Amino acid sequence: MPDELYFLCILHNIGATSPDKSLTLEEISRWSVLEPEKARSNIQKLISTNYVEVDFSSGVERYHVTADGIRKVLSMYS
Amino acid sequence: MKICMLTWEFPPRIVGGIARHCLGLSKALVRENCDVHVVTLDFPGAPLYEDIEGVKVHRIRIEIGHPSFSVWAFLFNHFIEKKVASLSRDIGFDIIHIHDWLTAPSGIASKYYLDKPLVLTVHSTEAGRVQGLRSPDSYMIDGLEWWMTYEAKRVIVVSDSVKWELQNHFRLPQEKIDVIPNAVDIMRYQKDVDREQVKRRYGVGPYEKLILFIGRLVPQKGLEYLIWAIPSIVQSRPEARFIITGDGWSKNHLESLATSTGHGEKIRFVGFISDSDLVELTMSADVLVVPSIYEPFGIVALEGMAAGVPVVAGNVGGLSEIIEHDRTGVLVYPRSAESISSGVNRVLSDSGYSRWLTQNAKRKVQEIYSWDAVARKTAKVYEEACSQ
Repeated sequence: MPDELYFLCILHNIGATSPDKSLTLEEISRWSVLEPEKARSNIQKLISTNYVEVDFSSGVERYHVTADGIRKVLSMYS
Repeated sequence: MKICMLTWEFPPRIVGGIARHCLGLSKALVRENCDVHVVTLDFPGAPLYEDIEGVKVHRIRIEIGHPSFSVWAFLFNHFIEKKVASLSRDIGFDIIHIHDWLTAPSGIASKYYLDKPLVLTVHSTEAGRVQGLRSPDSYMIDGLEWWMTYEAKRVIVVSDSVKWELQNHFRLPQEKIDVIPNAVDIMRYQKDVDREQVKRRYGVGPYEKLILFIGRLVPQKGLEYLIWAIPSIVQSRPEARFIITGDGWSKNHLESLATSTGHGEKIRFVGFISDSDLVELTMSADVLVVPSIYEPFGIVALEGMAAGVPVVAGNVGGLSEIIEHDRTGVLVYPRSAESISSGVNRVLSDSGYSRWLTQNAKRKVQEIYSWDAVARKTAKVYEEACSQ
């Protein structure tokens, strides 16, 4: 499984699945035990495929999995 | 009878066949005068509670997560359990009905604290899905699957092939198993579709042949064998165009494979598409290919049959039970690109044969695979579970 998809699964499983449950890069790095640069690179790939979205409503960049991203994750497990 | 149905996927949270199965079954159970409550997971845009044609759908938010899928699954089961406990204060459930292992922990717990029978539907097994157990997660899921078949009062399976799996893999007594096939909502396909316009939307010209694949992009679905068959199909039918719907972890690999055939411009991966678009696309296809290497039932094939499109499918599991070769579809050797190519070419080259297949298939679907028939059989299983 490509790195970014494994990372997408982690984002989904830790619960970042809607704007109100979105997480900052630092929070995601801590959860995934990945360096922020590596986490950012994965996030960028996932944004480009529309599996992750950025939320700016709190004034800070926060990230969450989109509906398509959720389906992508679920398709890996079912 | 009051039913508490637990499922991890329910529309619009559609992953595989379970979501559509639970929706079709629960609506038909309501028509059988059952009071059906579905407890499922939330999904962006879906309300936490809604009534769908009498089915009460309760969606739960999962408040805690964990990077591990297994831990996450046990955590969401906790929230399902909490919801069931809360609902049971006002509703005297008669039956708890779970689908596959993902809601087994909450279903089994509910069985004990409500002191009500547990009914289980097995749609597939881990050993079948991953074609052999190789990881700790797979061993855990396999163990849970054995445990849920043990705890359930009655076990419903969607095909004889799954029944065989449970009897052989889990040593489950056959007296405990009921085979009730999946069904399709035939009404979804009773509409006029402008095939030319739909084909154009997907970049397929009016005189080109649309060969359709619907399914998760995972090895179990056997898409790579269809891709390997493409050069041979195109050689005989240069007007063939291939539309691949669905998503999954093998997508990148399959896209590369498609490019490597040298016919990449004839193959389009369109990802997930809406339910109504899927119906129109299916009805506009010239052939539906279901090249699965493991398929406990194969609801996609049934949907193709209902839509009036000729189906070419792997001769495995439930597909072999749904399709009668040369009468309601074409069965091909699993894992064989050559056989798929031969099946597709046969259907495309003989419109009379193709029409004969689709007419027979539609009739069979109408006679056997209706949700009302499935609901009647399921209600009977509920009654047996309550009386034992």
